[in-house]
Amino acid sequence: MAEEESAQKMEEFRSMAIEDDESEQISGSFICCVCLDLLYKPVILACGHISCFWCVHRSMSGVSETKCALCRQPYLHFPSICLLLHFLLLKMYPDSYRRREILTLEEEKKEGTFSPQFDALTWRSGDEEQQKLSHSSQSHMKCSDPNSSMDTGSFRNGEPHASKVQSEPIEGIDSYSPSSPKQDLKQERDIIVEEESAHPIGSDQSCKQITASDVLCAECKQLLFHPVALNCGHVYCESCIVYPADEKLTCQVCKSRHPGGLPKVCLELDHFLEQQFPEECALRRLTARPRLAISENGSQKSRNSGADNELRNSSRSIDTSATHFGVGCDYCGMYPIIGYRYQCQDCIEVIGFDLCGDCYNSRCKLPGRFNQQHRPEHKFRLKKPRYVQNYMLRLVTGQLDDGSTSLVFPNEGSEDGVLLTAPTSPSDVQEDAENGLSIDFVFEDEPDSEHQNNSQSNSN
Amino acid sequence: MAAVNSYAETPQERYQGNTPAAAPPSKQPLPAAKSVDTQSVLKRLQSELMSLMMSGDPGISAFPEEDNIFCWKGTITGSKDTVFEGTEYKLSLSFPNDYPFKPPKVKFETACFHPNVDIYGNICLDILQDKWSSAYDVRTILLSIQSLLGEPNTSSPLNTQAAQLWSNQEEYRKMVEKLYKPPTA
Repeated sequence: MAEEESAQKMEEFRSMAIEDDESEQISGSFICCVCLDLLYKPVILACGHISCFWCVHRSMSGVSETKCALCRQPYLHFPSICLLLHFLLLKMYPDSYRRREILTLEEEKKEGTFSPQFDALTWRSGDEEQQKLSHSSQSHMKCSDPNSSMDTGSFRNGEPHASKVQSEPIEGIDSYSPSSPKQDLKQERDIIVEEESAHPIGSDQSCKQITASDVLCAECKQLLFHPVALNCGHVYCESCIVYPADEKLTCQVCKSRHPGGLPKVCLELDHFLEQQFPEECALRRLTARPRLAISENGSQKSRNSGADNELRNSSRSIDTSATHFGVGCDYCGMYPIIGYRYQCQDCIEVIGFDLCGDCYNSRCKLPGRFNQQHRPEHKFRLKKPRYVQNYMLRLVTGQLDDGSTSLVFPNEGSEDGVLLTAPTSPSDVQEDAENGLSIDFVFEDEPDSEHQNNSQSNSN
Repeated sequence: MAAVNSYAETPQERYQGNTPAAAPPSKQPLPAAKSVDTQSVLKRLQSELMSLMMSGDPGISAFPEEDNIFCWKGTITGSKDTVFEGTEYKLSLSFPNDYPFKPPKVKFETACFHPNVDIYGNICLDILQDKWSSAYDVRTILLSIQSLLGEPNTSSPLNTQAAQLWSNQEEYRKMVEKLYKPPTA
């Protein structure tokens, strides 16, 4: 009897699971090991393993280094989404990818925090003006038809400056959207409608056909061979990575620094390329070998020492007094921030906008990792780690590592009260002053305590 | 960025920079104090169930309890050529709301005489605690427990009596047989 029951139940679950099966056969290479679904907004870690944007972010501890779910290699930086892979998957599995997009957006709306939005139109045209104006009230990406919008060579000019903005979901955000982009919006919609009618979705034309131009190295513009992804999400052939003498690996496309040593080859992508382009890969193997050997002779040593250095630095620098637990840098993705932390005072998103010391001092600042509407004119404030909270947090996470951390500090008021008595080490203040940074130094204590009072009286 | 689903900071604190007292909705509920959307947990458990059914691994099985996909009942059978050969054990798996970022709680429902299992059925296995990775799933958990049966870690036992007896496999086998109560269907 139990057999029958379970068979019946099984049938139920099966139908539930099949409900959103689009009959696209997704290669095992592109299944996220965390959500067991098609990768959505893929992030390639330094160890070469791929996961979804949210799966990586939720995996990250925010208290110390995080270990890769597959190989346990520790990482401190949350890499940017790999746009090459993002658009590749969108092209290969349009239906599944759309389904993922819709469901993810629903969840994001519930949480009030959004992943970066990429616009296929922007991706193609690289037209910044249009991108700026394309604040959209439509919540879905405009790449409704990957077939037409993914024409070959599209990302040659593909800087990932495409943080398209969601204007409706967060209250009070209206003041940040540009004056009146309605005209543009309408135009855009027209374009979409046209494209859609030209290539109705779901028609089984082979829009899944990918070409070598979908998977080009950012440096040599050839088919990727042994692909490695940098922290910024740009993908190179392993042999194309230039390791400079000063041991700071910098992306040639976006000029952002890659923390840590040489990233490992993304094997899943590599296998996929081998399958898709066996001849080209064989050819590349012949031509790439000697080149790699030469570069190895010269730079292997420095590469290794660079990686070692970084590793040593990172393990040593989990210095609890300088760590901002649960806060990440919106430019380089360091999470938690270790060292100086600058908080934007003008970004109103719940998730906030923060930069680490290095990124604050570099000139380029991308839009936030979570679609914040950060502007260059926004003001920053240097924040100090919150000693007492940090200490208790570590205590709590160390002792009951079962996800109850979020419940331990349900009321912001209470621990702020404790903070009043927190000792602020004078040496730190001095250091800051010595650095001569032109920031108004605001101590947290007073406004916090005011607020505590407010919230308490409100809650009663 | 700050932690989405946890402890970092409060909206109140965020707002205060701009307009100290008046504007911010200080009564705004903490955003997403809950962790991950349960919908995604549900989805993941469903696909795990599917692949578990499809894989047909010998000696392990698991299925959700009635009406609650967050609680599963699993069974493992003792591997051949171990003292547990021919025995079958029922386990319970209960999944937290932030699965797979946190491991499920796994317990033996059937009494199991084993160095790393206590009298309440609690299991001492690193991958269910600090060595947990979100890439593990029900299948790998059950396979790990199955192999734990035959290869206990006797250096840090929960059941010291079992740990001491382990060196004498013949006696151990007798003990297993003596204490074994087949799970009732």
